[in-house]
Amino acid sequence: MFEILTPLFVSLIVGGTLVGIIFGAIPGMTATMAVAVCLPLTYSLGLENGLALLLGLYVGGISGGLVPAILLGIPGTPSSITTTFDGYPMAQRGEGEKALRIGIVASLVGGLISLLVLDLFAPTLADFAIKFSYVEKFLIIFFALTVMAALSSDMLLGIFSGVLGIFISLIGTYDISRGGNGELRLVPPGTEYWLESGFSLLPVLIGLFGLAAILEQAEIGVPKGHSTKDINVGKHSRFSFGIFKGQSINLVRSSLIGTFIGILPGVGGSAASIISYTNAKTFSKRPGNFGKGEPAGIMASEAGNNGLTGGALVPLLSLGIPGDSTTALLIGAFTLQGIQVGPLFIGNNPGTWDAMIIAMLIANIAMFAMMYFAIRYFALVVTIPKHILFPVILMMCVIGAYTINYGIMFDVWTLLIFGVLGWLFTKLRLEVAPFIIGFILGPSAEIYFIKSLESFGDATIFFTKSWIAVVLWILIAGSVAGAALMAKKKKEITDEAV
Amino acid sequence: MGDLTRVTIDFQTSHLIFPTIIAIVLGLLGLAIVIRDRARIAAAGSYWRASWSAMDKPRFLGALALTLLYFSLMVPVGDIWPNTGLGFLLCSIPYVLATGILFMHERGFRQILPLLIVALVGPTFVWWLFTYPLFLTLP
Repeated sequence: MFEILTPLFVSLIVGGTLVGIIFGAIPGMTATMAVAVCLPLTYSLGLENGLALLLGLYVGGISGGLVPAILLGIPGTPSSITTTFDGYPMAQRGEGEKALRIGIVASLVGGLISLLVLDLFAPTLADFAIKFSYVEKFLIIFFALTVMAALSSDMLLGIFSGVLGIFISLIGTYDISRGGNGELRLVPPGTEYWLESGFSLLPVLIGLFGLAAILEQAEIGVPKGHSTKDINVGKHSRFSFGIFKGQSINLVRSSLIGTFIGILPGVGGSAASIISYTNAKTFSKRPGNFGKGEPAGIMASEAGNNGLTGGALVPLLSLGIPGDSTTALLIGAFTLQGIQVGPLFIGNNPGTWDAMIIAMLIANIAMFAMMYFAIRYFALVVTIPKHILFPVILMMCVIGAYTINYGIMFDVWTLLIFGVLGWLFTKLRLEVAPFIIGFILGPSAEIYFIKSLESFGDATIFFTKSWIAVVLWILIAGSVAGAALMAKKKKEITDEAV
Repeated sequence: MGDLTRVTIDFQTSHLIFPTIIAIVLGLLGLAIVIRDRARIAAAGSYWRASWSAMDKPRFLGALALTLLYFSLMVPVGDIWPNTGLGFLLCSIPYVLATGILFMHERGFRQILPLLIVALVGPTFVWWLFTYPLFLTLP
């Protein structure tokens, strides 16, 4: 297990975590973008070393978001939204450094608890999922899409986005290697040469998360960066671990909420931190202090969003279903190395599984060590000018798209198409995460659906195949009903407010 | 009942079944959105006009135009020196510089100098990294 710990492996994790923190600390850039931009670097590294780099980027990227959230009141990443509520007020009263250190410790706790859940839960779930036939596999994907759409900010638009992702994933050949008949479909005349294999996953992801984000910034005029004068770290804000006294329940609860949200496909870090924060406020003895610089709020938010990291890997490594946008990109890393994630992955690749667990552990420790002791320097990251950063990122996006299939220019055009599409999505209020999950799972959903009908010749098989199928239908119905109830409640609250 | 639910899949046309189902679902969802959001859709004209007027057009459209030009020129330039990756290098340097200048708010020498250094060093380093240690051919 520990033979994987080579100097290169550890250096890649530490380097990845460092770059991830920098990405997370720059408002408008995310962990997903960090992974998307650095993905082509994993080609020649091999699977374990490549994953070491990407997991470092993931953990660092999620954690880095707390820096601008606390110092500037701007969430560096969507998962740091609630960190601004109490972090920024603390920074305003000269306790910036203290607030940052509270967030860093909470991030470590969240990351480690979610890693423990991943280590214990993913192999068990995978062992169970091995028993699944085509029918259950189709229903699992259907359930994942339902949950993801149900938890979108707008259920109808969320479902539409997911189904649109499936539809676009079906463009091209019905893959013979997966049991299809090799025929083309949904390909406009004259584009057969380019669209024979459909759109490649990674250029699509890089376009949606890299180029689209920069286009959004360009649309609002690429806001000027912050100067060192804007940053109030608070030189005299003493931090002590005593502040965590009486907060263990808050930390563990928030970490577990984050982990659970991570397990649900496509929900994302912002939901993890919001739900953790809301719970912390509900159970607090001093709910009135929340939003005014309450340390417990920072703890809940940061433990929650870092709890997501391990949780999001559970469905990916046990079922082949990505838990969030960043883990969707990790599928690309596996694809590059010719490995398919799914129920058989852990059993067939124990070395890679161990490497991932170790990488996550080291990434969390590296994140803590770097940020805790060098937080003053990371605070300066927010001053990097965007006019220097964005062109370099755009260039890296091009490299990533071009090299993904060893030099196909159409993949670069795919990046542009989906970059513009991603920008349009925000304008039309469509959701990128459900679209991506739909795009990734669409081809598998098709194969499982068609093979189920070919094998059993009866449409009722989806309801009668096994008790697992029945349970899955109950879960599907539950998620839709729950979402409908939540939407109704939200509407009532809005109406009351009006 | 058994006959009603019986399904026979013709392998020759099996590639059309799932896309057809998904297209129908997509159409129904689209219809539901149109019915639910009809007021918002009716007011879409003003929404897009407001978006257009609020947009920083030079930066947004300029970034798109530069990116289009960058992608279009990479291969023709690279074909002059095949299999060297120079198409990428020679197009990336001006692209990074031009996009950076476009995104700048103050365009003095002190602001442009660091960008110029990054525009020269960044693409050159990436080109070297992918061409030599990683052995990946760039355009």
